[in-house]
Amino acid sequence: MKKAFLKPLLLCCTLWLATVHLAQATVDEAYDHTMEAAMPYVEKGYTVRQDYWNGEVESGQKLALRHQLFKGNDYVFWLGTANEDCKIEISVFDSKGQPVHMEREESDFTSTVRVNPPNTGTYTIVFSVTSKKDRGVTWAISYGYR
Amino acid sequence: MKIFPAPSWMPHCSGLLFALFASIATAQNSAGVEKFDPNNFPGFVMEEVVVPVPSEIFSVLDKLGEPNWKDEVNELIIPNTSNRTELSLIFGLIVAEGFVAVQAQDKQAIEDIGREVINVARKLGLEKPVSRHAKSITDAVQQDDWKGVRREFDQTQATVRAEMQRMKDSDLAQCVSLGGWLRGTASVTSVISKNYSADRSELLNQPNLVEHFINSVTRMPQTTKNNQLITAISQGLTKIRSDMNVPRGVFSLEKTNSIRKTSDDLLALILKTKAN
Repeated sequence: MKKAFLKPLLLCCTLWLATVHLAQATVDEAYDHTMEAAMPYVEKGYTVRQDYWNGEVESGQKLALRHQLFKGNDYVFWLGTANEDCKIEISVFDSKGQPVHMEREESDFTSTVRVNPPNTGTYTIVFSVTSKKDRGVTWAISYGYR
Repeated sequence: MKIFPAPSWMPHCSGLLFALFASIATAQNSAGVEKFDPNNFPGFVMEEVVVPVPSEIFSVLDKLGEPNWKDEVNELIIPNTSNRTELSLIFGLIVAEGFVAVQAQDKQAIEDIGREVINVARKLGLEKPVSRHAKSITDAVQQDDWKGVRREFDQTQATVRAEMQRMKDSDLAQCVSLGGWLRGTASVTSVISKNYSADRSELLNQPNLVEHFINSVTRMPQTTKNNQLITAISQGLTKIRSDMNVPRGVFSLEKTNSIRKTSDDLLALILKTKAN
């Protein structure tokens, strides 16, 4: 009896672990896309920060990340996803909620925004990934500066 | 490019966010760059503030002139402690000292700091992941690749924090950031006060970052908060936050010196030495 119970349990555990692993790999894929987008900037002298931020969220849901930026540095934020056919949006706002001057670039799996903060202080990075077919989407944000 | 783990809060957050948002019906129509109002934001504002790495600050100072960085390099005498909280603060401080030595292009200081990085990492049980960075630092110094040395110091700090988070020691990871930030603030305020300008002083406009560190210390377990050093740091951070409450983010020389003194005093406490 015990053994009969054990076998399906082990199978379930294996499947569950495999699913977790796959989900993790997909989140990592989102990060990989940000690194691909970062390559041309690295060639231009930007330093890519080793830390990055990632996760899974409902399609279209907006998220915000607060970030200390220093006047005098150029910053580039790369938002990536592993989901196909998504609208990927990222913007940077100052402490008064106003958007700061930005240059944008978009590709299939990433959206890039470059900012030159007018003042030193805390800025807010607002972003979302919207999919027409997936309820949940993966995201990753990396950033660089020079 | 190597993949480093994301900060510890994020993996927890990601699952939570998905569960949270999956249960909330949301309509996302606005496309963009209008205005950000935290009180009416139809999303999730992450509580944490992203802590900058020292090289972000030093790269700004590079653009503001050429301070005499050799004056800013301190000789490090590491106190004999086995307390992991104290060691984590010391580790962050040493790495930031490495940045100052890079600014000064002081090869001997960087070699000495490299040795201390390994020593403290060993006491923290992190010698193995750190030693490859220490070797890369030495190699880059020998090739006069100062940008490479900076990058390796950044990566050393990131690796240690990631290892600590992996071991569920996120408080210690915060202490690494805090130690580094205090040393960075001490050197930045020193450089600013020696050649003061309103433009330079603006670098100190970091009240939300200080608030973040205060909150981090507040959230630490009581046993950690009972440490006299942590109590002193908490009080010092409150003083710095008060000093950072200035209009338009421009700091007077007096305020700059006050922040410098508090940072120096806290660093002296961490290193168990006398403040300058």
